[in-house]
Amino acid sequence: MSDGLVSILDGNTFVVSDSRGDIEASATDPTGLFAFDTRFLSRWVLTVNGQRLTPLSTDDLQYFETRFFLVPGTGTVYIDSKLSVIRRRAVGNGFREELKILNHDEKAVDLTIRVDAGSDFADLFEVKDALKKKGTYSTRVKDGRLVLAYERETFTRATDISATGRAKVDKNGLTFRVRIRPHGEWSTNLDVVTAAFESGETRGRPTFARPRGRQNMEANLDRWLAEAPTLECDWDALRETYRRSLVDLAALRFSPPILGQRSLPAAGLPWFMTMFGRDSILTSLQALPFTPSLAATTLRALGDWQGTRVDDFRDEDPGRILHELRYGELTAFEERPHSPYYGSADATPLFVVLLDEYERWTGDRRLVRELEHEARAALNWIDEYADLMGNGYISYQRRNEKTGLENQCWKDSWDSISYRNGRLAGFPRATCELQGYAYDAKIRGARLAREIWDDQELSSRLEKQAAELKRRFNREFWIADDEYFALALDKGGKQVDALSSNIGHLLWSGIVDKSKAKSVARHLLGPRLFSGWGVRTLAEGEGRYNPIGYHVGTVWPFDNSFIAWGLRRYGFKEEAAQVAAGILAAAAFFDGRLPEAFGGYDRTLTKYPVQYPTACSPQAWSTGAPLLLLRTMLGLEPVGDLLVVDPLLPIGIGHVALLDVPGRWGRIDAFGRGRISVGEKKGLRQAVEAAGA
Amino acid sequence: MTAAAAADPSLGSMPDATAAFFGELAERGHEPLLEHTKGTLKVELADGRRVDRWLVEVDNGDVAVSRKNVRADCTVRANKELFDGIAVGKVNATAAVLRGALTFDGDVELLVRLQRLFPAPRTRRSRSTEGRRNA
Repeated sequence: MSDGLVSILDGNTFVVSDSRGDIEASATDPTGLFAFDTRFLSRWVLTVNGQRLTPLSTDDLQYFETRFFLVPGTGTVYIDSKLSVIRRRAVGNGFREELKILNHDEKAVDLTIRVDAGSDFADLFEVKDALKKKGTYSTRVKDGRLVLAYERETFTRATDISATGRAKVDKNGLTFRVRIRPHGEWSTNLDVVTAAFESGETRGRPTFARPRGRQNMEANLDRWLAEAPTLECDWDALRETYRRSLVDLAALRFSPPILGQRSLPAAGLPWFMTMFGRDSILTSLQALPFTPSLAATTLRALGDWQGTRVDDFRDEDPGRILHELRYGELTAFEERPHSPYYGSADATPLFVVLLDEYERWTGDRRLVRELEHEARAALNWIDEYADLMGNGYISYQRRNEKTGLENQCWKDSWDSISYRNGRLAGFPRATCELQGYAYDAKIRGARLAREIWDDQELSSRLEKQAAELKRRFNREFWIADDEYFALALDKGGKQVDALSSNIGHLLWSGIVDKSKAKSVARHLLGPRLFSGWGVRTLAEGEGRYNPIGYHVGTVWPFDNSFIAWGLRRYGFKEEAAQVAAGILAAAAFFDGRLPEAFGGYDRTLTKYPVQYPTACSPQAWSTGAPLLLLRTMLGLEPVGDLLVVDPLLPIGIGHVALLDVPGRWGRIDAFGRGRISVGEKKGLRQAVEAAGA
Repeated sequence: MTAAAAADPSLGSMPDATAAFFGELAERGHEPLLEHTKGTLKVELADGRRVDRWLVEVDNGDVAVSRKNVRADCTVRANKELFDGIAVGKVNATAAVLRGALTFDGDVELLVRLQRLFPAPRTRRSRSTEGRRNA
């Protein structure tokens, strides 16, 4: 994370501290120990003989484990450099901190070691919006343990703090008085355990499981890595990016109790360690050739929570796939609608897309049968509930006007949907990529109906609808003078005419007429959209363009991975490779961990990608982007029971081999060698720019 | 709601919201939303000093409701008043779990599947109905 903060996580539990390992959270900053969208520790400060410590170094050992090397004293002068302090912290359900102090002196030393602890039990939403609490706090010291608790009616959250060493526990923390012999050491384990909604038997008396064992988590990570394909290549940075992606994906898996034992990708740290329909689906799609199990669990969990009612507060409809599930206090008391909230216009068609793509890779017909009801309900939602304007297109407008989401597409910030002159479009809004997803869902749904559900009637109906949708879309969204698709249609059916990256998703969905695809590709790789690193969310020259505007000019790696896939789908292999090369080159600047977004500045201007100020990292679909780009560059495509490999790699990348790609074929190796020049000499970029001029 | 709930003595004699909910479920016999669900779910509702008990047995969509007090794959506990609220769509079950008003033991998936059957809140039908196209 930024600002010298250190974060470790496991599932939806994470710790964000400063570089000393201390937590001193104010009401609105995101440091602390978090689980279930609640902050369980807002204060955790270590002192030795009353002195704060100074960090020498921090080691990220694993995504769930960090080690801090410290010395007593602050500032440039060390009060006593004859001591070393090591904090090794691992996340489980809470965390375990191994605290070790080494005495380097020839004399024994007497120390007072103090850990201050406290919690504000803030809901993540409160941390974002600085709201007041309605419940009561309590602090208890019992059996050598410090228990911090928060209660509001039946809602209870508690933090249990204990040490293996002999400690004097008071209501504000733990004190150790120790003597360390010459060249000796002292250590203790501090266990911090979080307790949230307990099962019926233990209600009112929170019990505390022990933090999960480190060895267990290591074994789990090793297995995860071993099951994924092996990447061999000449470019070290790509190998590093690939490994980083797999490890971060492992970290972002979570299986909170209310979901059962399944693990699926959460959206991102720190704000989004929860199930998101859109993010979980798109990440599962990106990772499908590498870790297909994520897709299966995502589909099952989202299917379980599919909407069944018309509920305006949650923007729920029958068949609608959820947007976001939250566990915090505001959700629990229905002050926020996230139990779950359904305000997403794309997750539902994308659910069907993922189900079909999953079967094409894995041949798992059983899951397609198991989810037949849910998939049909999702397809039905497109026609019955999503067409707010009665014009045959998916559009969105929230029914929960207080706490619902205004923009229900992936570009969900307030200013993302505008005309060229910068004016914002009114509601409902039918953004273009939604129509692409609907088209793709119908085509794929038709295949599933024909081949697996044995429903020819549904299959031909969906195909007919898809063909009709495509015909109308290519007429009504197409801006003939400039040869690209409008960002959206507004309430009056008028084109919202800004040039945006959304047109790349249209290629992925296949809704674009062949005759129009070349112009779309030219715009995507042209100077207004392509920065040299990737495709900007909004084109330079548009009224709202801002190279560091969240959805109005930055480059999103996830967005680019789907654009590259789309280019490839229409045969623009070189253009796809160019996008892939740009994003993967950017990844190298971030040690292989792509941020959510980076600045849309021209590559020739900044030489390095400028990270967006408050971007989430790691973020699931940024983590998945290199995986999808690899798939795209290698041209991996399941055809029947075979995996077709049709590589086109940028020259600088050299040799690439992806070994043991899992799928319905068993395991297959895919090889490629870089053979097109990208952005160098008189490379592709100049050629495309020349063509666009 | 339905007469069935009140009429069937095995399903309790009080024509209350909870009884009506389970009565309707029993009457349906088959529920497409539970097509791939198998298991037993017990609901224990504290009503003053009484405990009101319901057992839902689901076998791939076939649903049987009884008052049997047996071990179940998932046991759900709440007070009767709260569950009455859920049964008429006044209280959201998931939010109730999050605030500890509804607790569970065992296979949570059964509870997740069952919550799909709870009715919608009785709010004004706004654009959702307008927006519905003539199918």
